[in-house]
Amino acid sequence: MGFGPMMSSLLRSKTGPLLVSLQIAVTLAIVINSLFIVLQRVEKINRNTGMDVDNVIIAYVRGFGEGFDVVNSIRNDIDLLNSIPGVIAVSVTNQVPLSGSGSGSGLRAVPDETIDAAPAGRYTWSDKGLDALGVELTRGRNFYAEEIEYILPEGTSPPQDSILITQALADELFPDDDALGKTVYWGSMEPSIIVGIIGHMHGSWVGWDKLSNVVIQPGIYAYTTNKFMIRVEAGMRDELMPIIEQQLGESNRQRVVKSVRSLEELADRSYRRDRGMAIILGIVITLLVGLTALVIVGLSSFHVTQRTKQIGTRRALGAKKRDIIKQFVLENWIITTAGAVLGALLTVVVAYWLETSFSLPRLDWNYLPIGIVSLWLLSTLAVIEPARRAASVPPAVATRSV
Amino acid sequence: MFSYNLKLAIKSMRRNPMMTVLMVAAIAVGIGISMTTLSVYYMMNGNPIPEKSDQLFAVTLDSWSPIRPFDVDRPERAPHQLTYQDAERLAELAAGKRQAAMFESSLIIEPVNDEEMPFEATARVTTGDFFSMFNVPFIYGDGWDKAAGAEPMVVLTRQLNERLFGGEDSVGRWLTMNSMRFQVAGVIDTWEPTPRFYDPINGGFREINEMFIPFGLTRVLELDSIGSDWGWKAEEITSFEQWLNSEASWIQYFVELDGDRDEYLAHLDAYVGEQKNLGRFERPMNNNIYNVMEWMDYHEVVANDSRVLLGLSFLFLVVCLLSTITLLLTKFVGKKSETSLRRALGASRGIIFRQQIVEVAVIGFAGGLIGLLLTSFGLQGIQYLYASPPGLVSLDWVIMSAAISVAIISSMIAGLYPAWRVCQVPPATQLKAQ
Repeated sequence: MGFGPMMSSLLRSKTGPLLVSLQIAVTLAIVINSLFIVLQRVEKINRNTGMDVDNVIIAYVRGFGEGFDVVNSIRNDIDLLNSIPGVIAVSVTNQVPLSGSGSGSGLRAVPDETIDAAPAGRYTWSDKGLDALGVELTRGRNFYAEEIEYILPEGTSPPQDSILITQALADELFPDDDALGKTVYWGSMEPSIIVGIIGHMHGSWVGWDKLSNVVIQPGIYAYTTNKFMIRVEAGMRDELMPIIEQQLGESNRQRVVKSVRSLEELADRSYRRDRGMAIILGIVITLLVGLTALVIVGLSSFHVTQRTKQIGTRRALGAKKRDIIKQFVLENWIITTAGAVLGALLTVVVAYWLETSFSLPRLDWNYLPIGIVSLWLLSTLAVIEPARRAASVPPAVATRSV
Repeated sequence: MFSYNLKLAIKSMRRNPMMTVLMVAAIAVGIGISMTTLSVYYMMNGNPIPEKSDQLFAVTLDSWSPIRPFDVDRPERAPHQLTYQDAERLAELAAGKRQAAMFESSLIIEPVNDEEMPFEATARVTTGDFFSMFNVPFIYGDGWDKAAGAEPMVVLTRQLNERLFGGEDSVGRWLTMNSMRFQVAGVIDTWEPTPRFYDPINGGFREINEMFIPFGLTRVLELDSIGSDWGWKAEEITSFEQWLNSEASWIQYFVELDGDRDEYLAHLDAYVGEQKNLGRFERPMNNNIYNVMEWMDYHEVVANDSRVLLGLSFLFLVVCLLSTITLLLTKFVGKKSETSLRRALGASRGIIFRQQIVEVAVIGFAGGLIGLLLTSFGLQGIQYLYASPPGLVSLDWVIMSAAISVAIISSMIAGLYPAWRVCQVPPATQLKAQ
């Protein structure tokens, strides 16, 4: 029951429904593939960094002029920063994690140049470094204060005895063994001993697949350009940033405060491309779904007006309101299902194209049934109101001439 | 006839305002999204220096480790930058028509009086040929000549000249940077090659550096690079001189050639051959030069994301057109009685067809115009999202005319079938039913 008139009316105007099916198919292909990309980017942006990103401030300063005393300047700066109420810990670093700017090195478990080294982001900071970033040491020990020396650009590098590494790097260096206490070798074959293991932290380049490989050496880079990591009490960051900038600026006229930024802002910049892509595709999805829904509504309403007479006749011949609604909803289901089948095919084609031409990750096939069901629900929602209107056509209309 | 058709079209559009709005909106949104992504793609894919992109070449020499290649995934590639020593020597040999060795650095500009604050500015440290090689436009003065290769001269950008000297002709004036007195040699006009082809390594779409200073000053001022550097050899480096003589690659090197590539490649091979005798360059001979567009491809300046967006947004345009066809079809079906009346009164099929097409073109034009507006919003959005330098992606006449023509042509194609369907309505039969 209900199938007969529906099929006949569908067959009478084939092109319209066919076009809507086609539209649903392309919509499905775009929406599923885009949504997959969006969710992947969102996941990437929201990964755990292992740091207290929200409460860290990074200050970039640079000394200039004849006779600028770098070591003294750094000492004074650290004292000054520590004296500001709300500051928890301060350390100089050679590079800033998540900022997009960093250094990298390779480490080996055996001193053999011919084997491939495990790549890692390389940082140098003091015994306060972990605290200044809010990074958690899970095993072993932090650097001792005695291990921290000033590293001058023109001096020989100090002995690199103790290092901290992340668990990810430990697993890559010693897949079957405990890395703590082991000796590893730099490119120059100089040895270092792993004294502590950091559970997890990110390095500088957010697009790098070895982002969690990090090695930290003890020391304070005494270069004219310096980067301070400053961790502050929760919620005080925005209040303290201008204060830090002002106090650093006033305390020494031989030094330019290049910028004071929150680590959050630096990380946001690093993820800008990913965020941009997610937002643009999000807009595309919204517009697309909205447009397709509107077209379905428009088409159904149009059919209702077109078929007022037919509906009236059916009602006059005893069809209930329910039957009329059923007719329209069923009609819509046929169109949507045809679109979904074609759409599934098209989704696979687009996913294949994205994967092979742009080496994007392979589509998670779970998205396909979820997408189809959502589209199906949406199209049903879109047809309900026109169908209601159709059902309310009084039986008498059929007998009246238009 | 056209104006009559236009009148009918507008009348018909007003009869069904919701439908019309929906159609115009569908086209506008489709055009807006696809033209936005097209503009970005077009900008990224553009030739930044069309007049001589075939004569300018980036130079690479394979000075990397004997054990493994620079890029393990693409072993045929040599490091994309040169060591300082090689760049310096090649520049001295000057085998090309012009050559530019360069890197990015930053200097502290010291204030003239006590009230002002010192500030940091980025500089491209390069050889004198840079300006003539890359057709850099000057407002005042000029670059420095070869003889002045290590003199403290500076070429300012228009913006920095504005900040330091209020925009006046500052040639011959002095400023102090890193405790050294520099004399202004020239001021360049706005020069924003897009992509920034001479330095895709540190970002193809960044702003250009604020000033230019001679490459010969590197040693004197012990200038550090703020760009990337790559090394493979464990060398003890305790002085700047040792750094300059190290195997680290951090200098970008371009050459302009009149003659053919092979001749210059032979020159590179000869140079590397000499160095091999000195015990350097332990890898097999692998020197290359890349013209500007090849260099852009090498560095994948066009982001994959941009291609993906372009593809998806054109699929989106297809959906918008499908919507338009569907809506037109339903609308024309509703016009059956009117059409049959006009046919009965003597209008030929051709006339009816033409009138439908005019109506569709009007919708397409309106959609295109609004789409253009959306494109300009879209580009502003892109600039905000990617924090790109202002004016990097902008609506130019190519995109504008593309937008309008794509809108009109595609909507007319979309209208063909519905219009044809309308013409099939036989005269008078529809009148009978009423």
